[in-house]
Amino acid sequence: MAKTYDYLFKLLLIGDSGVGKTSILFRFSEDAYNSTFISTIGIDFKIRNIELDGKKIKLQIWDTAGQERFRTITTAYYRGAMGIMLVYDVTNEKSFENLKNWIRNIEENASSDVERMILGNKCELTEKRQVYKERGEQLAVEYGIKFMETSAKSSINVEEAFYTLARDIKAKMEKKLKEASNPPKGGGHQLKSSEPQRKPPSWITRCSIL
Amino acid sequence: MSEENPESLLKNDAGKNKDKVFCTFCPSKVLNQGSATFVNIQFSLPYMQRKGDGQADERESISDYWLVEDMYTFENIGVSNTVENVKYLACADCERGPIGWHDLKTKKSYIALSRVKHA
Repeated sequence: MAKTYDYLFKLLLIGDSGVGKTSILFRFSEDAYNSTFISTIGIDFKIRNIELDGKKIKLQIWDTAGQERFRTITTAYYRGAMGIMLVYDVTNEKSFENLKNWIRNIEENASSDVERMILGNKCELTEKRQVYKERGEQLAVEYGIKFMETSAKSSINVEEAFYTLARDIKAKMEKKLKEASNPPKGGGHQLKSSEPQRKPPSWITRCSIL
Repeated sequence: MSEENPESLLKNDAGKNKDKVFCTFCPSKVLNQGSATFVNIQFSLPYMQRKGDGQADERESISDYWLVEDMYTFENIGVSNTVENVKYLACADCERGPIGWHDLKTKKSYIALSRVKHA
């Protein structure tokens, strides 16, 4: 059968237990409903179709299905991943501190050019907040990763986050394709140009419920 | 839903789905037209909603399915954790299901005609 899409991106949700990864996967949608049977066995992954700049993109989004309780995720899970959502809970300091461990885990196990994004989830819980947004932003800048605060519960920024990550993967892929069809002059192997993120962080969006 | 939808009206001459396939509960699109093939295969799917205690394992025997050869053919789909070599399929948006199943051995997926909307 003819391929009905232009790109297929495998995305992972990573972070401590209880930060809302499953809700984010669930809430990348309009109205959620608890179906007894499906919610009992749990969702492993979802395939979602989105359109970016006229291109049809299939996202395959995986939840860690409780593996994260062991504080590490196996290499098998990372295989083929092109994008990773690093999720913490803004009401849980520990989950934020653990992001560094997760980032290390990714560096050890995932492909080196995987696109990453940090999500501070549960941003609707203003009274219980332990991690200020500035700290999330700062960590993101430190690692050169994009950042958003999300609320799976109030459907804030969840869809935007997936579109942003998908757009970045697409841009990276198209750049690679272009380079492959236009190899730079000169022999020897080519050194990848690492792009320092010097742009102003206009991508840092607000948790818009304030 | 299915009662008024004999499969002959839903498939074209090649046995493919004439219409797009949607979730019956929300606007989520599951399949584009012509992307699945009608098959007659007996498989029991758990009920979408349990009616009460003691019926936890109750299943409905269904034989009319859309066969989807490649999982990436789906427009939107939710795929459950594995239960005895099978993954159950649900709406990717509202997660209602199962609307079908995925066979891990053959990698083929099946969507029950009676559990989706054709439009």
